[in-house]
Parts: sequence; structure tokens; C-alpha cells
Amino acid sequence: MAELRGSHGKARHHLLTQHFGAAGLATLKGYQKLGGYDTLEKALAMEPKALVDEVKASGLRGRGGAGFATGVKWGFMPPPDGGPRYVVVNADESEPGTSKDRYIIENSPHMVLEGILIAAFAVQSHQAWIYIRGEYDRPYRMLMDAIGELREAKILGSKPFGKDYPLDIQMYRGHGAYICGEETALLESLEGKRAQPRSRPPYPAVKGAWARPTLLNNIETLATVPWIIKHGAAEYTKFGTEKNRGTRLLSVSGNVRKPGVYEIEIGVPFTHVIMELAGGPFEGRQIKAFWPGGSSAKVLPASRMDVTTDAEALAAADSMAGSGGCMVADNSACMVETTYRLLKFYAYESCGKCTPCRVGGNWAVRTVAKILAGEGSRLDLQILDKIQAGLQDGRCLCGLGDSAGWVVQSAMNHFPEEFEEHAVRHTCSVKRERAAASA
Amino acid sequence: MPDQTAPDQGRRGNPPQTAKQPGAPGESPDSTGITLSIDGRTVTVPKGTLLVEAAKLLSIEVPVFCYHHKLNPVGACRLCLVEISPGPPKPQTACTTPVAEGMVVRTNTAGAVAARADILEYELLNHPLDCPVCDKGGECPLQDYTFRHGYPTSRIDAPRLHFEKPIPLSDKIALDRERCVLCYRCTRYYDEIAWEQELTTDQRGVQSYITNQFDRPLQSIFSGNIIDLCPVGALTSRVWRFESRPWDMDHTASVCSKCAVGCNVTMWQRRHQLVRITSHENGAVDDGWICDRGRFDYAEVNAAERVRTPRVGGKHATWNDALERLLYNLRGKKLGISVRQDLTNEEAFLLKRLVDGPWKGARVVMPRRTRIPAAAGDTLAIADLERARCIVVIASDTADDVPVVNLRIKKAVSRHGARLVLVHPDDLDLDRWPHAVHHVRPQAGGYPEAVRALRKHEYLQEGPVAVLYGDGHGTEDGTAISAAAAELASAAGGTLMPLYRGTNERGALALGLLGEEADLEGCDAVLIMGPGAPPASARFTAVWDFLLRPEHGEPDVLLPAASFAEDQGSYTNLEGRVQFLRPPLHVEPPLREGWDVLLDIGHRLNADVEFLGIAQIQKAVAEAVPALAALADPPATALAPTTVLYGPARP
Repeated sequence: MAELRGSHGKARHHLLTQHFGAAGLATLKGYQKLGGYDTLEKALAMEPKALVDEVKASGLRGRGGAGFATGVKWGFMPPPDGGPRYVVVNADESEPGTSKDRYIIENSPHMVLEGILIAAFAVQSHQAWIYIRGEYDRPYRMLMDAIGELREAKILGSKPFGKDYPLDIQMYRGHGAYICGEETALLESLEGKRAQPRSRPPYPAVKGAWARPTLLNNIETLATVPWIIKHGAAEYTKFGTEKNRGTRLLSVSGNVRKPGVYEIEIGVPFTHVIMELAGGPFEGRQIKAFWPGGSSAKVLPASRMDVTTDAEALAAADSMAGSGGCMVADNSACMVETTYRLLKFYAYESCGKCTPCRVGGNWAVRTVAKILAGEGSRLDLQILDKIQAGLQDGRCLCGLGDSAGWVVQSAMNHFPEEFEEHAVRHTCSVKRERAAASA
Repeated sequence: MPDQTAPDQGRRGNPPQTAKQPGAPGESPDSTGITLSIDGRTVTVPKGTLLVEAAKLLSIEVPVFCYHHKLNPVGACRLCLVEISPGPPKPQTACTTPVAEGMVVRTNTAGAVAARADILEYELLNHPLDCPVCDKGGECPLQDYTFRHGYPTSRIDAPRLHFEKPIPLSDKIALDRERCVLCYRCTRYYDEIAWEQELTTDQRGVQSYITNQFDRPLQSIFSGNIIDLCPVGALTSRVWRFESRPWDMDHTASVCSKCAVGCNVTMWQRRHQLVRITSHENGAVDDGWICDRGRFDYAEVNAAERVRTPRVGGKHATWNDALERLLYNLRGKKLGISVRQDLTNEEAFLLKRLVDGPWKGARVVMPRRTRIPAAAGDTLAIADLERARCIVVIASDTADDVPVVNLRIKKAVSRHGARLVLVHPDDLDLDRWPHAVHHVRPQAGGYPEAVRALRKHEYLQEGPVAVLYGDGHGTEDGTAISAAAAELASAAGGTLMPLYRGTNERGALALGLLGEEADLEGCDAVLIMGPGAPPASARFTAVWDFLLRPEHGEPDVLLPAASFAEDQGSYTNLEGRVQFLRPPLHVEPPLREGWDVLLDIGHRLNADVEFLGIAQIQKAVAEAVPALAALADPPATALAPTTVLYGPARP
């Protein structure tokens, strides 16, 4: 099999990735040989409430980007009323810089499924849906194969492990939209409608898929559940920081020697991640900036690389842990160009439902394009500042708008001289240095 | 902004309006009042009221595009952001937030004012500078809000987004994608209210645009309402295109003359022409909607070929000569009278006096009427459909027969969970509802049996039950169907709603005007009022209409009629509700109103018609027919004034 570009093998902090690379891990037999689905069997014998409490005690927080306390989210599900309730798994992974869910699925699809089934039982649901982005063809097929194996083994069916509790998993493929990572837009797409977020409240726990109570969780979050139930919450809390327990997978990419998906103990500094795990910058270059949690996390200058990977530290540094998609830029990157590239992404992916993101995003793109073309002015910088403020603080219907605003705000905040020289003096010092270096 | 309070369409004798306007779609008002403060002023409103509506009661304008009181709120346009405490630190959309006890809402903080101005700036960013040629000008919320809440100058110097325009969505409606603010009212209306999928949004983000599904022109009879709904000039009427501006027109609130529902409409007049018809919301009848027949079919009124003077033998004549010739030729003959669907109550009453007196033995028919007999006892009010748990529709394709009642049925099913039982051989639009529809398809003549069999059906065991019945488009035995429907209603403890076809069919029946016969075959002297062909047996034909139509042939006497836009009078809709016409056009001599001519005829024949004016006729009708007692109490002629809304200070 292909060389694994990331964590695998035994290490103290390799809670998810320990067995990655083991032969046959993706098959039911191979997974069971390593103890797979023993935890599901154990969970089915427990009280659902006990499972919820265990996950609460573990301090596990959502790994999709919002970082909400998972156990608390499970507890939001109302008591069963006789009607259907769903677990919907967000496998839409589209945050720029993030590929950890793909890494998990392609290495151990069964670990994902086991976590989903434990969660379904914990919230008294019988039907799970995995919403996977359409582009993830191989992960989709691997999950479908794994689900097929479970059905044949009757672990999915009317009596999993002999317990009178029907369980099933279905898959749905997305059609190429970043906005489907937003939970209510995902639900709209799952229901066959145009993928646009809903106004909240009501929240999915109360009125989710087909207006029924729905639990939405990220792939990595659910993939962590078997470990927690197997080893206990107390063991999990031995890793990480007080408010941000456990380990997580960071996808490191960009101008680094060894890009890959690395499992880290939450709380290690980014210097360890970028300079050690990812091998640091190329010969003759220096790290200039990095986005710690996907492009939706505010960019940080290299001088802040000492910030630790836990959510609280990142929030205090005016960024966020997000999806853990760490993108690294070195001194060959022009920050105005990267802002332009990222803004184009958000404007392109905007669903168009709410006015500020639809119009403001496009206006920002056109303004930055104007600046890059050497036709800008100080007024354009003021306009950019006005637009980024107009995308945040509840002005938009969902977080896509806020993220677009943060892209502009953080770049202008940390690299004002680059924006100034582009807009007012119509020059780019980075370009000049690049030209000088290749001359 | 639509006038929320429809003019009181007469009080006495009309069905009571028991279904109240909800504070929020789908919610019935609670008797618990919730007290909150908005901009420092307190108000108490029913539970479930949205902040936008609560603010209106204090004359505070929170501008909205995507919000509409008849549609489910979405919070898409973000124009209505307000600051709420206690609450989240971010501003919230007032259109999706219901009131809570002790809530403190501020619409005039610096943050809220700036948010509003910013959204308007965004909407104007790509909006074309079309105001001088845009038909929404003068009644355009985007214009009004920009003046009241927007920035006074623009910072935009970038080229705007362009679309091909205008796009004809149908022969009646044009779409301008550049003006569109993507409030989605039109697509949501089609989805939630009309249950049709004719409009959709294509592409995403800033490239989004509204388009018709499958490149098909709009075919729904409900399409025209999107013109009223659209807050900008993106959806405009092609029938009224480039015709006038609101400040050029006078308008009155009147009643549509096209079918028995009696939707309230606003008729707009300019230079003595009827130039436009829009809806005028009456929660008891139309719930704010009209159908395309009522909205667009008025060109006849302005036609140059209108008959305006009497004619005898094809030549112009005076009224005196024409009437004398008419009465002379009707004397002693087997007389037949064909009345128009929209014969007013007053005209019907006078005609009855003639038919009871000097014209005794005359046959009176209303072409295209249903074969449903006159209603006996209480029938269902349209608004009460919303309270029904089960709605039975027999022998009628309501979307075609009584369109706006069809919308009310859809509202009852989708908003209030009513279950549907359909008795009709064909697939109907109501079948589109994915749950709780029971459809029975009888063969020809099989209606009564099919209806009787429903008695045991589970849907009818939970009331209130509404039983609506037509006559299968005139091919079935209407009397038998009516009897079966009445039996079913009685057994299920339900209420009946007869679906008449004629605009004032119920009024004419209540006045005892219409006989059993279906046509005028065998009559040798006929008076045709309105459209209709004289029978082969007629030796003498008189036509009384505002147009000479091909089916009229060459009448011996032609009398000019006033159109529905000129006639005073009243109709009785299928509920039995009397509603008064308020014509926007004056009757220009030599044209005369129908009741006036009938009085004249009556005097010449010494009939019992001693009335000096329409008010006296109305009083007499009220006294003679208890079901039409509301005629004694016509409402005031002036429209209720529209509330003036004040917004916060300009930024």
C-alpha cells in the first residue's frame, strides 16, 4: 500500500492512528482482529445515558471546526417520542487545508462506523446517515464496502450482537459545495433540496433531518468515541489541556518539507507541528505565516508559532483551532495574493442566500483584484475594511460569511505593509524578492 | 405596503369571521399576552408574534425583503437585524424571532442602523439604475427603504453584474434578474402556497438568479401573485408594462367578478381606463391572493369596440326608442332571459320583480352555472377551512373552479395538518401533497355512491369536517351530488360548502331568480344579458352587454351595459357573503348602470319597482331575503387610511 503521509504506529499519543497501515485494517476481519467492534458490543450492553455521560466526562470536543463539547451535544437530543431520530455524520470535509477525515476513512473505515453506531445507540437512534463530499470517491467506496461487510455480519440489522435494537447506516454523496459542511445546509442537501443554511433556532437536535431530532457530528469526533468507551473517559483526560482534552489530527500542508496528517496531543506548540513533525521550511526559506485551523481560522504570523494547539490558546491569540487544517506559507508568499485566492474560494462557495456574504464576498474579491492589478487606492483598503466588518458579528446567516471576513481582517491586521504597498504604491516587495532570487 | 384591514364587507347576515389572522404563520394566537419593549416603548402582543409584526403595532418600521406575513420566515436578506437583550451578543433578525416576556429590543442603536444601511448598500451594488423606466417605481420598498434607512451616497464604482433582461416568464409576467434582490419570496410562494414548482433558483452565490423550471413558461393560474409579492421591479406585469405610475392612478377596493369566490381586489384607474388589478387582502375570503383570471382579464373594459349607445336594427338609437322597441317585441311572447354570471344582487332583485309581474312565465337561465341547488342552512366560511381536520372535495377541480379557495385548502393541509379526501376521476393538483390524501375516482354517474361510501373512512372520524362539492363540470347530476354531500356532512357532523361557478350564482338563487331549465330553446323572444348565443327558436333577440360578441349574432336590439368596473351593486359569493362593488370608473352617459335600466323598464311596464336609487333597492332586498340581510348595511365608501410607518434616523 502507498506510504502513509502521516501518523501511524505505536506512540503514547497515537490514540486514533496507532493501527494505521496495519494489513487488512480496512476489512472487518482485520479490524476485529485488533479488537474492533468489541467496544460496540460493550456499549450496547450499557445504558444509553451512561454512554452520554462518559463522553461528557471525557471532555471530547467536536473536531469539525466549531469545537463544541460532544457529550453536551449528545445530551441536547430530546427524549424519544416514537418517531424517527437520526445521526448524521458530517463527512463533507471541505475546509481548505483539511484532509484528516479522509485520512481516517481511507485507513480505518470501520473505526468510523463503530463510533457512529455507539453514538446512535447513545442517543436512541436507529438510523445514521453519512453525508460525504462527492469528490471523496475512494473514501466513499471504502465506507460502502465496510457497511456491506457489517450488513453481512449482521452487525447492521435488526439484532446487532443479539440485542433487540435495529441499526442501519446509509450514505449520501454531496454535489460539490463547501456550504454543505454547515450543518443545516447539509441537512437541506440530504433532504434533496438546495443546500442553503436554515435560520436557527430551531437547532438540529430539535428539528433536524426531515424535521426530526438529529445529532450531527464530524467523522473524526465519532472515530474517537470507540477509544473513549473502551479505555474510559478518565484515560482520555490524561491527554491534552484542561479545557481541550485528548489528541487530534492536524493536516499540515503548504511550504513545509513533510506535509501530512499528524496526530498530536492537544496543547503542543505549533513549532513542534510545523518545524518538527512537518520538517520545517525548504532550504533557504523562512516560515512567514500559518493558518492554524483551516483558512477559516485567522492567519498568524510566524512570530506566533509558539502558540499551543489547544482551542483556548488559539482563541487568545485571536485565531481558532477550527478543523486543524494547518496551512503554512513561507517568505515567497505574497499575503495579498493569498488573501485573493482564499477570498475567491469563499465567494465561489457562497450559497447566495444572505445578502452580505453573497454580495459582500464578491465585492471584496473584486476590490482585491483591483488592488493586485495595480489600480487600487487607499479608499479600496477602507472599503475592504468595511466589507470584512459587514461579514461578521451576526450579519450573515452562517459562518461562511464570518470566515471570509476573518481572512481579510487577519491578513490586513498582521501584514498591513503588504496591503499598503499594493494599494497605494502599486508594488509588491515579495514579487521583487522572488524575481531577485531567481535571477 | 398592503392595507391590512380590508373594508368591512357588510356585517349583518354574513358568515362570521371565526378564523383570526395568526401572529405568525402556522400558529394560532394564544390568549396569553406577551409584553416587551421596542425602542423604549412597551407593547403587549399574542404569544408567537414575530418582532417585525410587534414593531408595526408601534408604528416602528423594521424594513424587510424576504419576510412576508403569508410566508414562512427565513431570515435570508438580513435587512431586519435588531439588537435584543437578554439575548445573544450578535444582532438577530426580527422576522424570525418571536416575542418573549420582558424582551428589550432596539432597532435604533448605531449597530442596527449601520447593519441596515450596509445591507441596502449591498442590494444596490449590482442593482441597475432603472428607476426611471422601472414599473415598481413609486411603490418600491427598495426605493423607500433606501431613502429612510440607507446611505445618502454610493461608494460603488465597480461595474455591475449583468444578466440578459427582461426574461418573459409567461405572456403576463416579465423577470428582470438585475433588479432581483434574491429575497426568494417568489420561489417560496410557489412552493409553500401554490404547491407548484414553476420557479427556481439557478447557480449559487452572486451568480444566483431566478428562472423558470425546465424552461417552461409559467402556466399556473396562481402565477400573478408573484408580481404583488416581489419587493422590487424584478417581477412585473407585462399587461401593465410602461402604463403608468402609482401617483398617476386612482384606485378603489372592489370585488372580482370572474368566479364565485369573490376575492377582494384593488382596481386602478387612469384617464377613465381600468389599467390594473391587484389583490386587496381580505383574510376572510382571499387571504391576500387573487388568481390570474381576476388579475389580467380586464382588457375588455377598455376596448375601443365597446358598445356605448343603444342600437336598434344595427343603427344607433336613443334609450327611449330602444327600450320601447324591446318591450314591444317581448309582449305576449314566450320570453327567455339569459343572465350574466356577475349579475348583481340588485339587478337580480329587480329582474325577479319583472319576472314575477309583467314578465310572468319568462324563463331565466344563467349559462355555465352549476347544477347545484340553492343552499339551505349554514354553509362553511372560507376562512374556517383552516380549522378543519378533514376536507372532502367532491366533483370539483378547485384549482380551476374556485382557485383562491384551492389555495386556502392547501394552507389548511400544509400549515394546519388537515387531511384530504378527493372524489374526482382525474389526478388533481391536491394529490401533490405527500401524506394524508385519500383519492376516490368514480365513474360517470358514480358520485353519489362514492360519496356515501366515505362515511366510514378514518379521515372523517375526526372533525371538524368540511365537505366541498361541485357538479363535475356540468356533466353530472348536480342535485344528486348535492344530496349525497349533504348526507355525508350530516353523518360526519361536518359543514357544507357548495362550489358554485357563477360569480353571483348564489345571490341569484337566493333571490329565486333561476329556474330549472338549462337553456332557452323554445323561447321565441330572448334577452341575452352578457355573453351567450341566442337559441335557434328565437324570432326576436335583444342583447345587453358591453361588447358585441360573435355569438350574439346580429341582435334586433342592442343595449349597452356597464362593465364590472363601472357597475355599482353587490355580489353574493359562494359562502353567502355579500360584498359590495366599488367601481373605479364613472358611468359616462349615454351608458347607464344595469339597475337603472331595469328600473326604467319596470316603470314602463308598471311593475312593482318604486325605488329612487340603489340604496333603496338594497334595503328592499335585505328585507325580502334574510340571507341577503347584509345589503341593508353597505360599508362606507372611503378606504381605511394606510398606517404611516416611521423608521429610525438615517445613518
